[in-house]
Amino acid sequence: MKAATASLPEALRPLELLQGQVTPGSLDDQVLQFPAQRPPRAWYVALAVTLTALGIGTLCICWTFYYGIGTWGNNRPVAWGFGIINFVFWVGIGHAGTLISAILFLLRARWRNAIARFAEAMTIFAVICAAIFPILHTGRPWFTTYWLFPYPNERGLWVNFRSPLIWDVFAVTTYFSVSLLFWYLGLVPDFASLRDRTAEGWRKRIYTVLCLGWRGAASHWVHYDKAYLLLAGLATGLVISVHSVVSFDFAVSLVPGWHMTIFPPYFVAGAIFAGFAMVVMALTVVRKTMNLANLITDNHLEVMNKLILAMSCIMGYAYVMEGGTAWYSANPYIQHTFKNYVSGFYGWAGITTIICNIIIPQIFWFRRMRRSIPAMIFVALAVTLGMWMERFVIIVISLHQDYLPSSWHKYIPTKIDFGILLGSFGLFFTLVLLFARVLPVIATSEMKASLSERQP
Amino acid sequence: MSSGTFAVLGLFSDAHKIVEAAKQIRPRKLGRLEAYTPYPVQGLDRAIGLAPSRLGRLVMLMGVMGAGLALLFEGWTSAVDYPLVTGGKALFSWQAFVPVMFEVTVLFATFTAGLAMLFALNKLPFFGHPVLHSKAIKDITRDKLALSIEATSATFDSEAARQALVDNGAESVEIVPVPAWDRALSLVGFLRIVAAIVAACVVAGAGLYAAEKLMPVVPPMIHMHDQPKLNAFRKSAFFPGGRGMRPAVAGTVARGHLPPAFATPEEAGTLLSNPLPLTQSMAERGRKVFGDHCAICHGPVGDGVPLLSRAYGGKPGNFLSNEIRARPDGHLFGVLMLGKNAMPSYAADLDKDDRWAAVHYIRILQRAQNAKDEDLR
Repeated sequence: MKAATASLPEALRPLELLQGQVTPGSLDDQVLQFPAQRPPRAWYVALAVTLTALGIGTLCICWTFYYGIGTWGNNRPVAWGFGIINFVFWVGIGHAGTLISAILFLLRARWRNAIARFAEAMTIFAVICAAIFPILHTGRPWFTTYWLFPYPNERGLWVNFRSPLIWDVFAVTTYFSVSLLFWYLGLVPDFASLRDRTAEGWRKRIYTVLCLGWRGAASHWVHYDKAYLLLAGLATGLVISVHSVVSFDFAVSLVPGWHMTIFPPYFVAGAIFAGFAMVVMALTVVRKTMNLANLITDNHLEVMNKLILAMSCIMGYAYVMEGGTAWYSANPYIQHTFKNYVSGFYGWAGITTIICNIIIPQIFWFRRMRRSIPAMIFVALAVTLGMWMERFVIIVISLHQDYLPSSWHKYIPTKIDFGILLGSFGLFFTLVLLFARVLPVIATSEMKASLSERQP
Repeated sequence: MSSGTFAVLGLFSDAHKIVEAAKQIRPRKLGRLEAYTPYPVQGLDRAIGLAPSRLGRLVMLMGVMGAGLALLFEGWTSAVDYPLVTGGKALFSWQAFVPVMFEVTVLFATFTAGLAMLFALNKLPFFGHPVLHSKAIKDITRDKLALSIEATSATFDSEAARQALVDNGAESVEIVPVPAWDRALSLVGFLRIVAAIVAACVVAGAGLYAAEKLMPVVPPMIHMHDQPKLNAFRKSAFFPGGRGMRPAVAGTVARGHLPPAFATPEEAGTLLSNPLPLTQSMAERGRKVFGDHCAICHGPVGDGVPLLSRAYGGKPGNFLSNEIRARPDGHLFGVLMLGKNAMPSYAADLDKDDRWAAVHYIRILQRAQNAKDEDLR
């Protein structure tokens, strides 16, 4: 195969996705060893840090419950504040996982196999983090069922299905349950491998139950492959719909700066952008600490960095389009809001967004930067900050000065707001750390199937 | 012939070889062909004669069902059970129902794909399959590909099957016996499960009891609830008598609520006459008062047929009767203030003008229900 492709120009040659000799057996030994091992000291240190962050967040949430939502910075025009900023941010982070597991599966991008499991796990954890915020933002979370879900009740009321907020509830809950199912289906054959390489004991019992007695029968693989393909196809539509629906929360309203048709594609691109940055950040750490550099190679990271660059350009186009819309609308309110994005009290937020999302990722035009770990961590951090700032810009700047100058009001987040945000990062990375030690971080059955000499 | 054999497994390392072997062995009809592999091997399903999966049709069906159910549910709640006009849109505004329809379609279709695949088509979970108890399973879920010839009748020839696998390149062959089946669930096992469920319920119950009785309950968000202000019925150390609410000065009379200057309705009939002129707006006001307070017992047209169930008891007066038609306005006004028989006083609910308006309306009803030719002209 190598000989056949050596004469092709470099861009057309298939990517080298493995370093050294990798066989199905060596793959199992390398990837499935972690659950049986004692984690290294660094893992405990990292866990202590993330648990501290999570603890701070939990305390802040308890304080919110005790004292009320008045501990947050939300005020009359900026009623959404951090609650919705963080929700949109975390839901967006999740999108990279579904893109990798569904869309790239349909596109037969072989490089996705090594990173799909990890990215899917991050999707699930990100959606868990996201779900906290709107639930807290309702003010009295113990009544959440009452507001969010249509169920027959003694008041004879139903939710309003014409509201984007209820679309959101359906989109996010569907997204979470489908992601969980997708993830679990992928794990079933790996649980079977773990079951058969684990000595008798409680671990083996857990794996036995979790793999449902999977035995790798060809008659089962036929249905499994079909189910996986169908799930990928359905999840492709889903991943595009979820952030589109999130953007409807904004675009369907009349607030200047929100009421634009570009919002759905712009939000989906931004979500994938932020999600890829988070995946790259986590993978560089994982492959170093878990010695997986032969499976998650520089080539994998380079492809992801190319995608980040592409998404960055789409984001740049979207920003310009927003400006164009403001100008062409000849609407003084929209123009005022757009000017506010880069000047005025919150102008620094808009400038940060543009620098982090549009300018910094441009270094990925250089191959050396795409393959340099410090450079990609720098860009990933910048993009994470930039995408969070973008949601801050969209929500706070648009809301704090809308049509009625008498109701203009500045929004200053409180320590509690920042504490809960920190706590969500703590929760996310705690779950990532636990996942990395307890479950196979690479989908071994998919990897085995894609090893070139393993198919007739 | 060996009756205790479930299957003969031949292990391969090479995906080409197992597919070739399957193609060679399949026409010989030694038994049911099956393969056990750590990953899906392309073409192996066709080589052992498996039909393509029927999952797609099922998923399509359930997806369409999800879309239909979502549309019906959204339409029924928004247009039928709780018709709510939002933003001037039609009650059945199907365009707005599309996002939820899409999500429900995906939800139904994906869970059908996943769960039907695992539980219906693959018949999992199944922990007792003989291959799971073979020696080869450790290699099968790792890196070896197993071709299995499974006994389908008592005439299964395991030696011929073994030979066929060896001839076609199997690296090693294992004969998997039919496991010595216990009953699926022994009595002891069943009792254990029951005991475990009972124990879990007891622990959960005791835990909840302890949590409720022993733990201090911090009411959430009390700061919104308990504001530092004086409520009407709250105790106050500031005012004498300890009452939060200030009593009215003695002799205070609310506007429109002068105490009656008569002792009986009959007396009112002789003393008072309706001071309000009958105008269109007065008639409207009377109709409102009548509808809110009188119609429930006296009936919407005042004929004494109540809207309430007959089981309620009382016999409300019939305003259309000659007796009541003959009574002066002041009499009716007096009844409204003092009550009569089972009817309570409405002095507190209605002010003076409301009462007179109701009297006007009763007169209107009496005329309307007994209309003469010139009234209709």
